[in-house]
Amino acid sequence: MALARVRSLFIPLLAITLLLAACGQTQSTTFSSVGAGLGSSATPSPEPWVSYPLTLTDDAGRTIILAKKPARIVSLAPSNTEIVCTVGACGNLTGVTDFDDYPASVKNVAHVVVQAKVDAEKVLAAQPDLVLAAGNGLTPEAAIKQLTDLGLRVMILYPKDLAGVYHDVTLVGEALGMPDRAQSTVASMQARVKAVTDVVAAAAHPRTFYEVSVFGGTIYTAGNDSFLSSLISLAGGDPVTGDAQSGAIQLEDLIAADPELILLGDASYDLTLATRAKALTAVRARSGWGQISAVRAGKVIPFTDDVVTTRPGPRIVDGLEALARAIHPELFGS
Amino acid sequence: MRAAAAVTPRTLVGGPSLTKASLVLGGGLLLLLVAGTVALALGSVGVGLGDTAAILGHRLLGVPAQVTWSAPAEQIIMEVRLPRVLTAMLVGGGLSVAGATFQAVLRNPLADPYIIGTASGASLGAIAALMLPVLLPGLAVGAASSWLGVGTVQVLAFGGGLGAVLLVSAIARAARGGAVTLLLTGYAVSSVLAAGVALLMYLSGNHLGAIFAWLMGSLDGAGWRNLGLAIPLVIASLLLLLARWRRLNVLLLGEAQASHLGVDPHRERLLLTGLASLATSAVVAISGTIGFVGLVVPHLLRLAMGPDHRLLLPASLLFGAALLALADLGARLAGGIPVGIITALIGAPFFIGLLVRSRRVVVGNS
Repeated sequence: MALARVRSLFIPLLAITLLLAACGQTQSTTFSSVGAGLGSSATPSPEPWVSYPLTLTDDAGRTIILAKKPARIVSLAPSNTEIVCTVGACGNLTGVTDFDDYPASVKNVAHVVVQAKVDAEKVLAAQPDLVLAAGNGLTPEAAIKQLTDLGLRVMILYPKDLAGVYHDVTLVGEALGMPDRAQSTVASMQARVKAVTDVVAAAAHPRTFYEVSVFGGTIYTAGNDSFLSSLISLAGGDPVTGDAQSGAIQLEDLIAADPELILLGDASYDLTLATRAKALTAVRARSGWGQISAVRAGKVIPFTDDVVTTRPGPRIVDGLEALARAIHPELFGS
Repeated sequence: MRAAAAVTPRTLVGGPSLTKASLVLGGGLLLLLVAGTVALALGSVGVGLGDTAAILGHRLLGVPAQVTWSAPAEQIIMEVRLPRVLTAMLVGGGLSVAGATFQAVLRNPLADPYIIGTASGASLGAIAALMLPVLLPGLAVGAASSWLGVGTVQVLAFGGGLGAVLLVSAIARAARGGAVTLLLTGYAVSSVLAAGVALLMYLSGNHLGAIFAWLMGSLDGAGWRNLGLAIPLVIASLLLLLARWRRLNVLLLGEAQASHLGVDPHRERLLLTGLASLATSAVVAISGTIGFVGLVVPHLLRLAMGPDHRLLLPASLLFGAALLALADLGARLAGGIPVGIITALIGAPFFIGLLVRSRRVVVGNS
């Protein structure tokens, strides 16, 4: 019954999409590309003709052959959704996750991933021409295998750093026949990153500890060589890192590293860390933390831009800018 | 004691009466059919009973039909739901028969299919497979995912489960002990393997979610390919177990009596353990460790009809298959929570209720 509903919605939707496409660039203006910092300078232009069948290689090294321009796209991760939308194909999404919240229009798209579970039936009902999964186990490997076995085209995106995000925006842009939009998004991201790195280049890089969470006495931070640690470096900090895999750090190692600044990425989820005063009190009260330079100097800051800092999509630059403002308030004002 | 008294020389050779047998097995078959139908008709995407029946009739039986359904509907029924329901039945039936066997062989009411190391061995294998990209960072992610095509997780889980059981059996045989030695050896080996599992989980980083899903038992990702890997092993070992019902009954009488009746208890115990472990390992490899089914189903059936394995084993197969198909339906409709949670959440209180009512556990313990 639900399937029939999806289908009955699909035909008028398709008609509208075709109509809009015929009218010109309407579709690509529905989503103004990258987040806060980008002005409306990116004027949408008709994309050059991309020839299909198109052969692409995804981040897992798999070859994906697209017979035609994908009209229906399922995204299995919020970062993938944002990439699809930034290249101007938001209207082609027929399935997303229950975690998707940006841009606002995707909240109305069917949820094919619920509580991190990929529902193969719902993915099939969304009739995707292309499924965008996340790598490194974020989309369970069993689910990727199941969808591939069902004959769906699954592309795995797993950006390990900013260059990886640029690459994925470009890759998705090519796959969806929107290479120009992808190119302009990447160019504006690069310009904004350069603006940040130029400003912090001459400044001192304080030893910065980013608290992802403290759970059952185990402290989690940016892993060694992780995406997050590279962002902290770019934002003008010297990251105190944990285990490359888990991000866990021993309290002794944290004390020995003696951070000059503590950013509480978990402040969005923990009310006891919500304000600067509360956060400082709470962190000072933790056994062994009192003598850390950052705590003594009162430089313990609730960092509430955790989502954009940890979601490897186009808004990652928002995260970088937020980090730079938190690490160097004197340079960026705020 | 009371339980052992239920197995008399007459039941050993004569078997159950025809009416009781047809009642139990007929009931089991009926329940299995109903469970299968309901589980196929319901899911997260509504297909409709008429379309479901038409698709199945058309594709399985070749019933000529006007194709009124959509392509995704057909794919959902034939390639997602049907293999999943069949997997649930195979897993439920396999675990129940293995559980019944272990309870008789070890003469222990707490025995379940995982009791002598299958679960921890298989878990270690599966988790090692899930973490291959981390453990051997030299391998490209692409290489690892192409291995997934041939089911690295399944192969290593199966190997781990069976390896653990063979190790336990070898130690127990060297010790020349009885059922208790086998139990204790299993426990000790399991502890070592569980420590390995815990270590890998600690190092797992982003893979923790996949590992948890596996440990809790889930039929997500069930497909024809995995089912095809498990079916021959499970069916073969179950048939061999069913054929040995008489020896299982004899083992219930105790070692001395078994020897008097011409059954070598040591040899028979290891053989039966091996067969049950083979079925368990094959099942665990495709479903993860689903608890409670293998413990509860044989007990419930024993309460209902006594410990004669001629009837108990096939009944365990039918009822175990039906119950897990229904439990997995519940798991799917509840938004895909692991089916192991459903089996414990509903199975345990139900089991307790029956225990309280009957005030005894029939295991044939001496």
